Amino acid sequence: MTSFFEATFAMLIFPGGLFALAAGLMLKGVDRKAVARLQRRVGPPLYQPALDVLKLTVKETLIPHTANELAFKLAPVLGLSGVLLTAAVMPIGGVWNGVTGMKDLLVLLYLLPLPAMALMIAGSASSSPYGALGFSREMVVMFAYEMPLIASFLAVAVRVGGTGGSMFALDSIINYQMAHGPMIFDPIMLPAFIAMLLFIPGTMGAGLFDIPEAEPEVIEGPLLEYSGPLLAMFQLMSAVKLVVVVELVVALFMPNGLGGNVLVNLVWHLFKCLALMLVAVTVFRASTGRLRLEQGFTFFVKYTSPLALASLGLAYMLR
Amino acid sequence: MSGTYTLPIGPLHVALEEPMYFDIKVKGETVESLGLSAGHVHRGMESLAMQRNYLQNVVLTERVCSLCSNSHPSTYCMAVENLAGIMVPERAQYLRVIADEVKRIASHLFNVGIMAHLVGFDSLFMHAMEVREIMQDVKEGVYGNRMNLGACTIGGVRYDIDAEMNAFIRGKLEELKPHLEEIYGIYTTDPLILKRTTGVGVLPEADARRYGVVGPVARASGIAYDVRKKTPYCTYKELNFDVQWDTKGDVHSRALVRLREAVDSVSLIEQCLEQMPEGPIELERFVEIPEGEAVARSEAPRGELFYYLRSDGSDTPHRLKWRVPTYMNWEALQTMMTGCQVADIPLIVNSIDPCISCTER
Repeated sequence: MTSFFEATFAMLIFPGGLFALAAGLMLKGVDRKAVARLQRRVGPPLYQPALDVLKLTVKETLIPHTANELAFKLAPVLGLSGVLLTAAVMPIGGVWNGVTGMKDLLVLLYLLPLPAMALMIAGSASSSPYGALGFSREMVVMFAYEMPLIASFLAVAVRVGGTGGSMFALDSIINYQMAHGPMIFDPIMLPAFIAMLLFIPGTMGAGLFDIPEAEPEVIEGPLLEYSGPLLAMFQLMSAVKLVVVVELVVALFMPNGLGGNVLVNLVWHLFKCLALMLVAVTVFRASTGRLRLEQGFTFFVKYTSPLALASLGLAYMLR
Repeated sequence: MSGTYTLPIGPLHVALEEPMYFDIKVKGETVESLGLSAGHVHRGMESLAMQRNYLQNVVLTERVCSLCSNSHPSTYCMAVENLAGIMVPERAQYLRVIADEVKRIASHLFNVGIMAHLVGFDSLFMHAMEVREIMQDVKEGVYGNRMNLGACTIGGVRYDIDAEMNAFIRGKLEELKPHLEEIYGIYTTDPLILKRTTGVGVLPEADARRYGVVGPVARASGIAYDVRKKTPYCTYKELNFDVQWDTKGDVHSRALVRLREAVDSVSLIEQCLEQMPEGPIELERFVEIPEGEAVARSEAPRGELFYYLRSDGSDTPHRLKWRVPTYMNWEALQTMMTGCQVADIPLIVNSIDPCISCTER
């Protein structure tokens, strides 16, 4: 029974649910403001993403008459609930150890592609040629970044070596780093960390990898036909997804807290997330443009995957 | 995604922002063929020009297009002057060149800035627009407006530059120079710009000649055709500048040609400020327009602009017709786009610097 309450709490309040939504909207706000300042613009207030979502919830929903209505409506629900669930099972070092029975890296591996899947369903359900283009682009980009993601996961898991439980147990990964120092200071794991730094903009569609939703090319692709509350859900999905991917990198490479105080650790965790986002999303997208689809794919195959695989190989040999 | 399908671009499209429709047949992400459909807007301007007198038409032609809003009235005035045999005072001719070149710098910076936006490099776009703002300051300071200068009138110009204004323009140009150099450096070396724009939308010289393209599009494809050099008007004969051209004929070389022309324009304005003689800037009294016909052409930022005027001796033109550079350039999109990627479509369209408002008036 306790595990039921624990799971509900994690899903609805912390670290998923309300906390993830609030953190996501805040990160999005900081991102927009910081990019604006880097481009010498004024930029919107920090709460602008929240206002955008609020406004969209009271707007009319238009569904193209050629669209598959059920899939069109279900796609944002799937995407948002998917990322909220991912946020709920994400451990926060020194604050939260994850939901009992779901502390597993493989669970994350299955949950992480959900938002991309939701966008693909949205793109193909909307029956617009731009949506179809967005669908195929989303899929190609996903294939590109899944490889370094899996390799990095395996590298971390092999490095930890399953001390005290399953090889993929999230709490053993956290405990290992509590004992041996964060992975980011481990020279063997540094290539994997860099690969994950490139994975963040890849999955968030920022900078070089703003390919599936490229505004001047495919007019936001899968999201083109969306409006009203459904679009608001996609915006929330994107915000929570941002939290999830930075929290993931924090959990895998630098989960260490600042002592025993939970509140201090939470602030420290948020600070790490913010710093990671500023590096991997904000500065990255302010200083680069967009690659063509095949160039983006080649980039991941040529640079990102070898980095992650190098860490995996080294970790395996030095096990 | 193996079948061919139609990707409708326009008439309302975020990347285009002007009413033009491209019916693009796409296979996967590759463009197979392209159909152009124009005529979504008709403002009846040629008809309006036949109902207004010669002076009112100066105001009307200025409103044909915003980015080349000085080329239109100045070329129209040249056509009227050719017909009536009016000799424009020399100082006024220099002042016309200054107005034209100020607009050229602003127009070219706008275009290369949009190119950066289309490859997703928004920071560079913002920077180019910020640099362009220096030119906007010049326009506002000298002419009082940021877009329509209102500089030309038949037989002269409507503004003069005194010593104070002269120093103001020179100061702004000095401010602009290092920025232009920096932007040129970024566009020639930035790996992302190179990766996205070199070899894209190639227009070989033979095709360029066949389509009869003009302006930077022709010059980037190896045709060093510039009206300012071929048939110098105003005072371009006395000014020292080169025709900027390239042989690669891709999106990147078109952007570089534009940037080099902007640098040239800075030097042209400086030469004008240096050499400009004292004297009157307009006619003492208006001359009657005789019966007959005349043409005039000039080099607008987008290419050769051509005005045809026929008069029946009354105070309104019997016929006024103009051919704008975009009309010559957009057919060449067929060659540029065939075989390109969907991602390159907006880039290629932007590289001819289309002005639909000029073309569909």
